[in-house]
Amino acid sequence: MDNSWIRQNVALKEAHAELLTLTATRNQSMRATWLDPVSGRQELVIVEVCQERFPSLTSVLPEVAWDEREIHDVFGYVPEGHPNPRPLLRTPRWPENFRPLRERPDVRPTWQDADPDNPALTVEGNGVTVMKVGPTHAGIIESGHFVFSLMGENVLHLDTHLFQNHRGVESLLESQTVDGVASIVTRICAADTVSHQTNWALAVEALSGYEAEAAVSLGRVVLLESERVLSHLNDLAQIPAGVGFQVAHQQALAMKEDWQRGLQGMYGHRFLFDTVRPGWVAPPDPENLLRLVYALRRAWTPWQHLVEGHHGFNDRMADVGVTTHADVVRFGGQGVVSRAAGKGFDARTLLPLYQDLRPVPVVESGGDVRARFNVRVREVEASLRLIEDAAARLRRETAAGDIPWSPQDGHSGQVAVYTESPHGLNVHDVTMDNGRVVRYHIRAATYRNWPLLAHAVPGNAVADFPLINKSFELCYSCADR
Amino acid sequence: MVWIVQGLGVAVLVAVAPFMWGIAQLVKARRQGRRGPAPWQLYWVIRKHWHKETTVPERSSWVFRLAPSVSMAALLIVVITIPIAGRVPPDWPHNMLTLFFLLALERFWSGLAGLDTGGTFGGLGASRVTTLGTGIEPALFAALGIVWQVSGNGAMAPLAAHLSTAPANLLPWLMASASVALVLLAEWGRLPVDNPDTHLELTMMHEATLLEYDGRFLALSEWAMALKFTALATFGWVVLGPHLPSLWANLGLRIIEIAATAGVLGWVESGLTKLRYFQLPAYLAVAAGLGMLGFYLAAGGLSL
Repeated sequence: MDNSWIRQNVALKEAHAELLTLTATRNQSMRATWLDPVSGRQELVIVEVCQERFPSLTSVLPEVAWDEREIHDVFGYVPEGHPNPRPLLRTPRWPENFRPLRERPDVRPTWQDADPDNPALTVEGNGVTVMKVGPTHAGIIESGHFVFSLMGENVLHLDTHLFQNHRGVESLLESQTVDGVASIVTRICAADTVSHQTNWALAVEALSGYEAEAAVSLGRVVLLESERVLSHLNDLAQIPAGVGFQVAHQQALAMKEDWQRGLQGMYGHRFLFDTVRPGWVAPPDPENLLRLVYALRRAWTPWQHLVEGHHGFNDRMADVGVTTHADVVRFGGQGVVSRAAGKGFDARTLLPLYQDLRPVPVVESGGDVRARFNVRVREVEASLRLIEDAAARLRRETAAGDIPWSPQDGHSGQVAVYTESPHGLNVHDVTMDNGRVVRYHIRAATYRNWPLLAHAVPGNAVADFPLINKSFELCYSCADR
Repeated sequence: MVWIVQGLGVAVLVAVAPFMWGIAQLVKARRQGRRGPAPWQLYWVIRKHWHKETTVPERSSWVFRLAPSVSMAALLIVVITIPIAGRVPPDWPHNMLTLFFLLALERFWSGLAGLDTGGTFGGLGASRVTTLGTGIEPALFAALGIVWQVSGNGAMAPLAAHLSTAPANLLPWLMASASVALVLLAEWGRLPVDNPDTHLELTMMHEATLLEYDGRFLALSEWAMALKFTALATFGWVVLGPHLPSLWANLGLRIIEIAATAGVLGWVESGLTKLRYFQLPAYLAVAAGLGMLGFYLAAGGLSL
């Protein structure tokens, strides 16, 4: 049986399937859900945990290294044969036998008085400098601790210590009702919130066998694409800042701010919180949307000419922080990072939500900072076209049934749902029993991309790290739910 | 009279230094579409730091505490030796080598201060500042050599005076100007060499050596950084720029020239990106190459 777990998963990987989730449950079982990127069909592989142990896949499927370490931390199941079974989110402050998802403790755990600094993997030897950055940074960003091993100006190795602000969202979601989940899921991450909300809505609708109306689907597409434009504009502003290109930085920030204010005017929230619920979507305003897209285009075109024609900027981005196509496939890279390295996967092509809007994946082959920059530029343009298309259709849609659908009580079952967030494939694996959540696993795109960043940095100059980091622009809070 | 003008010039340069820095920052902000702080913002910043508590890292030595004063003193001497209005009292020590070695002294101490605390960023900054120095110094030396060659002695004398009598010196003068402009950008720590406004520790050069300072030490360092800008801009204009017949008019012209330099610097800098660190030797090699070629021409090695 052990062998079949490994054999089946490896076979699916070799058949170019995408791993949606790898997760465990408290009744001694584990499951891997795979997605066929062409047909959209899902495959489920299950294994029983025997005597607290399960066969580790990491040595043959390196992309699950973090998943298995996390399962060890929160369930206590030991991944047998894992080459690097360090704690991932567990800190020495956790009590010895505290396994937060294994059993629900009635009393709050008492935190140990221990040095929270997990030892980092560093290079040892003559002339090697170990440099620690974070977890508190000079800019307004999330908490991440980066340990560099340097030889002069060159990076030999980078160890990332994330999971500094673990909130226990998955544990919090257990035994919640449909209404309770929505407000928590919305707040997992401000950058990908619409994607998380849509996932939850799709999960409930799939479990109830309900199919949302066309107007609701179009409203969700508008929100998902607006969120992508917002997130990409922010990233496109931060990349020039990494090389001191202040004019391009400030102009892109101004575009982002105008876009965000427009969204606030339409949806009442700068980050689009609470805009999607099962069977419902915040009503879009097609006229205002089209006006907002028009205004953005007017600022966008001169900005695009500025950055594309700037020799110094393009020179700084070229051949820096390269991720190869082979690495992206091996580590299961997602989103912009994978599409910039020639992997043409975009979950939007599989989602019934987009119906006949026909989004086309944007692919570049360089794998460097410039390729990631260009993918974002082209995706913003594609998203603006999608928004215009959806808004035009929404104008034609007659406001059909104004009676909102609300999920009936008592649905049960397990489903893995996904959307393409600005950062890539965002998956929720939901198990419900009689209207309450039994297990809720969230695997955001950045969870797969963080190890790729650590892989892309060695070999580059340490002064280029901010630039590389900003070109990945990975979300901490999605990965550390 | 010369005494009074020189004394007043020194006082004015030291006093307006933060304002000149502010002009560059204001122009930068406007070019980027921001309103930006008032040009006298740096005075408030220095005042704020001055009134804060001054702390020093536990494992730092007297080197760390002395370095800001040494930098400030070196730059003050630089300002004093420059013939700000074009002329200086007799027997005034205004040799260009003095300037060269004072700048080297300032760099040496800022490197030492970065290393002294044992912090990684300070060490990285010290390494970068001194590495950059090995490129700056030959370039500056070559450019100064042109002036020396043309004027016949090492004094910081206006070169423009020699141009009217010997037009053949025009080409060396252009080369010296270009070379000095490139070197000064590097000395000031402005783009495309260093970014004075960054918060990204990993990319810092000069700022990284100041990271551990606060209170009065930081106030002194900020003032010294601004003074370095005005002092070197003055040097450039005195040696390579035009001069007016009156001492007082010359003094006024200097102030306008420095303000204009700050404005142009802010404008140009906003549109530039920082060069890769490993490309900086090429940048400084251009400056040094121009200087050496100019020196060769000035020495009459090539008859035009």
